[in-house]
Amino acid sequence: MAAIFALLAALSTATTKNGMAAVSSAAVSVDATIEPPQISLGESAQLTVMTSGTGALSVPLPVVPGLEFRLVGQSRRIEIINGVTISSTSTIIRVTPDEAGVFTIPGPTPRSPPLVLRVTPGSGAAPSLSPNNPFAPGLKSLIPGGSEANGIRLTPDGSAFVRFEVPKREIYVGESVSAAIQVGMRDGFASSINSLPKLNSADFTLNSLSLQPERAAKVIDGKPFTVYTWRSLLSAIKPGTYSLTFSAPVTVRIRTQPRSDSVLDDLLGDPFMQNFFGASVSKNITVTSPDTAFTVLPLPAEGRPADFSGAVGSFKISTDISSATNTAGDPLTLRMHVNGTGNFDRVESNMLAGDGHWKTYQPKATFNQSDSTGHRGDKIFEQPLIASQPGVQTIPPLVFSFFDPGTRRYETARSAPLRVTVSPSAADSAAAPPTALANAAGTAGEEQNKGLRPDHAALEARTDSLIPLYLRPRYLRITSALALLFGGGWIALHRRERHARDRERQRARLRREAGDASLQRMAAASAARDTALYFSSARTALQQCLSAAWQIEPEHVTTAELDARLGPEGDDIRQLFALADEANYSAAPPQAADFERWTNIVRRRMFAEDTP
Amino acid sequence: MTRFAPCVLLSAALTLSVSSSTAQTLPPQSPTQTQTQTQPPAGYSAAALYNAANAYARAAKPGLAVLNYERAKLLDPNDPDIEANLHRVRDASGLRPEAPRRLDRLTRIASPTIISWIGVLGLLIAGVSMLSSEALPAHRGKLLAVALAGFCLIGVTLGSAVAVWPTLHQAVVVGHAIPVRVSPTLIEEPIFTLPEAEIVSVKGEHEGFMLIKTGAGRTGWAPDANLALIAPKGR
Repeated sequence: MAAIFALLAALSTATTKNGMAAVSSAAVSVDATIEPPQISLGESAQLTVMTSGTGALSVPLPVVPGLEFRLVGQSRRIEIINGVTISSTSTIIRVTPDEAGVFTIPGPTPRSPPLVLRVTPGSGAAPSLSPNNPFAPGLKSLIPGGSEANGIRLTPDGSAFVRFEVPKREIYVGESVSAAIQVGMRDGFASSINSLPKLNSADFTLNSLSLQPERAAKVIDGKPFTVYTWRSLLSAIKPGTYSLTFSAPVTVRIRTQPRSDSVLDDLLGDPFMQNFFGASVSKNITVTSPDTAFTVLPLPAEGRPADFSGAVGSFKISTDISSATNTAGDPLTLRMHVNGTGNFDRVESNMLAGDGHWKTYQPKATFNQSDSTGHRGDKIFEQPLIASQPGVQTIPPLVFSFFDPGTRRYETARSAPLRVTVSPSAADSAAAPPTALANAAGTAGEEQNKGLRPDHAALEARTDSLIPLYLRPRYLRITSALALLFGGGWIALHRRERHARDRERQRARLRREAGDASLQRMAAASAARDTALYFSSARTALQQCLSAAWQIEPEHVTTAELDARLGPEGDDIRQLFALADEANYSAAPPQAADFERWTNIVRRRMFAEDTP
Repeated sequence: MTRFAPCVLLSAALTLSVSSSTAQTLPPQSPTQTQTQTQPPAGYSAAALYNAANAYARAAKPGLAVLNYERAKLLDPNDPDIEANLHRVRDASGLRPEAPRRLDRLTRIASPTIISWIGVLGLLIAGVSMLSSEALPAHRGKLLAVALAGFCLIGVTLGSAVAVWPTLHQAVVVGHAIPVRVSPTLIEEPIFTLPEAEIVSVKGEHEGFMLIKTGAGRTGWAPDANLALIAPKGR
C-alpha cells in the first residue's frame, strides 16, 4: 500500500517538475547532503535537498565556480497525519566538477550549513575505460556490463559496444581490406552517437566513413541493441605486427539512485520507466573496441616489375579504341579497363608512350566502384591519341603490373594489340573539333575555349630552334661572308677599272704633251722654213697619236699600217709620211710646203684621236 | 680571263656555303625505324606546338596556350589556325589584341626558311650583278637594275628579321596575377600585377627576376619562374 502511495506521489511530482520545487506551509525544514563528499575529476556527485513541512520553499540551483549543477529529478511525498498535510520533497542535483580542488557549496537556506566537495585530479580516462571506477560513487550501472563475447565487449554498464570486423589479419603493405566498424547501443540506455568512429592507430590508414551507416536491430545476451555499421577500407602503411582499436563517443543514460534504493527498479526494471521517473541521467562516454592484432607483410622486392605502381589485389585489364578507322591528325581515345578487387587508389598507368606513329596525351582515369567501399570496381583510363601517319597502324599491347596477395607474387596483365586504319589527309577532314581530346581535357577550359580550330597532323620535320633561319648565327655568318666576298670583289674590280682609267688618262695626257711639243717643233720649223724638221715633227706627232689609239708602238705606225687601218681616209697622212721621208732622205727637201695646211691636218687628226 | 677570276672564286665559295647551310638547316633524320619508335622526336614543329597549345587552351591554361601558339607562329607565321586560336584564347582571357605591326606582313609572305633563302638569292643576284657591272661596263645599266632587284629581296629578309626580332625578346606570363616590383627583390611591394597569358618584353634579367615592359609601357621586375621566353635561350 505504501508503494502505491509512493507511486502516486512520484507521478504527481513528475508532472510538475520544472527545476524548482514549491513546498506549501510556512514551517519548512531543509536538509541537504552530498554523496560522496570526495570524487575524482571526471566523476559526478549527487546533491540531495530534502524539504519537509507545510509551507512552500523554492530551492534554487546553487552557483559555485568550477562546479556544474544540473537538476536530475524531484520526488514529492504527501502524508496526512491527524488531518494535517505534511509534504516532503526530495530534489536530486548532479554535481560535476570542471577542475580539481575543494569546493564549498552554500546551503539551500541561509541557515543551512554549507557542504564541502573535494575533487581530486583524475586519470583522464573515460568512465567506460576504468572498470574499477566506471562511474562516480552513487551512480550505479543500469544493467550488468563488461562482458566480452563473440568479439563484443560491452561497456561496464552494458549500454554500448564497438566492434571491428576484417576478413583477415595478415595483410601486405598497401593492401586494402574491407573493414566493418559496428557501434551497438542498448535500446533505452544509449541515446546517441556523437561522432564517427575513430581509428586509434598510426600504423594503418582508413578510408573515409560514410555519414549514413547501416542500421540493424540485434539481440545480444538477451538484450535488444541497435547496431550501426560503417564499412570502409583499411590498409597498413609499414610492415610489422600491430594492433588497433576503434572508439566512438556516445551518450548513455546513467541511473542516479542506488539500486538498493530504487523502488522503480524493483517494480519495473525497465529503462524507459527509469528514465520516465527521472532515475537516470545522460552522460557522454567513449566506447572502445577490443584490440585487433595484424601482421603486416612487406611487398617482396624480388620480381617487382618496373611499371609496378603499388597496386595490390587481383586485377584484369582490357583495352578498346574509340574508332577502328580514322584520319591522320584526328584524335582517338584509347581506353584501358582495370577491373577486380584491391587498392584502386594505387592503380595507375601511363598508357601508351608517344612515338613516330602516335602522338599521345596524358591519360585521365575514372573509377566506377562496385561496392560501397571501393574495394571492387572498374578503373578506366582514357588517353587521347593522334595518328601521325596514314596506313594500318597497330597500338601495341598495354601492360599493368600488380601484386596479388592470393598468389603472393607480382602479376603482369597484358591487353591485346589494337589495329586502326588511318587514312591520309589531316587538316582538311578536321572540320569538327577533336572530340576525344576535348573530352579528355578539362571541362572548364573546354567551355571557355569552345570553337578552337582543330589540331594539326604533326607530319612536318622538326627543327632544333625556334629562331628563324635568317636570324641564326650560322646563317648570318655565311651570308655576311658572302656579302664581304661580293663587296671585296666589287671593290677590287672597281679599283682595277679606276686604275686602268687613270693609266689611260695619264697616257692621253702624255700624248697631248707630246703632240703639243711636236706642234711647237712644227711651228718653229715652219717659222725657220725648215721643211725637213717640220715634216719629221709632224710625222712623229701623228705616229704617237695613232699609236696610242691603235695600241701599238709608234714606230709601227707605217704607211702599210695606215693603208690597213685607215684606207682612203689616210691619204693626207700617207702623203705627209711620204713628204717626211723625202725631206729626210732626199738631198733636196721639198720647198713648196704649205705648212699651215699640214699643221691643220695634224691638229685635226690629233683632235679626232683624243676625242673618245 | 683574269677579270672573271673573282666571279669564279665567289661561285666556289657560294657553293660551299650553300651546301654547308643546307646541311645545318635540314632536320636530323632518324637513324633507324626502331629508334623512332622508342624515342619521341626531338625539336620543335609548328603542328606539335599548335596541338599542345590547343590542349593547354582546353585545359584552361591560357598562359601556356599563348606561349605555344606564339612559338608555333614563329615556325609557321602563315597558318591562319594559329592566329585564330591565339586570338580566341587571348580574347577569352580578357586580353586586348596585339597591335599589328607594319613589318609583320613581310614575315607572312613565306615560311622563315623560304625567306632565308630569298635573302641568299637576293644576295647572290645583287653581288653577281654588281661584279658583272664592273666587269662588263657595256651592260652596266641592265646589270645594276638586276642588282636592285637583288637588293629588294635582301630587303624582304631584313624586314622580316626586324619584324621578328622583338618577338625573340618577349615572354609570356604563365602564372596567375604575377606581382611586378620596382626592384628584383621580394621585399618591395608589388606595383602592379600581370594577368596570365600577357606578353611582355624582356629588357633584362637579374637573379631570378626579369625586367619586363608591358604593352601599356609599364616596367618592373617579375619573377622569371612565372615567365616563359617565347624563344628559349640556347634553342
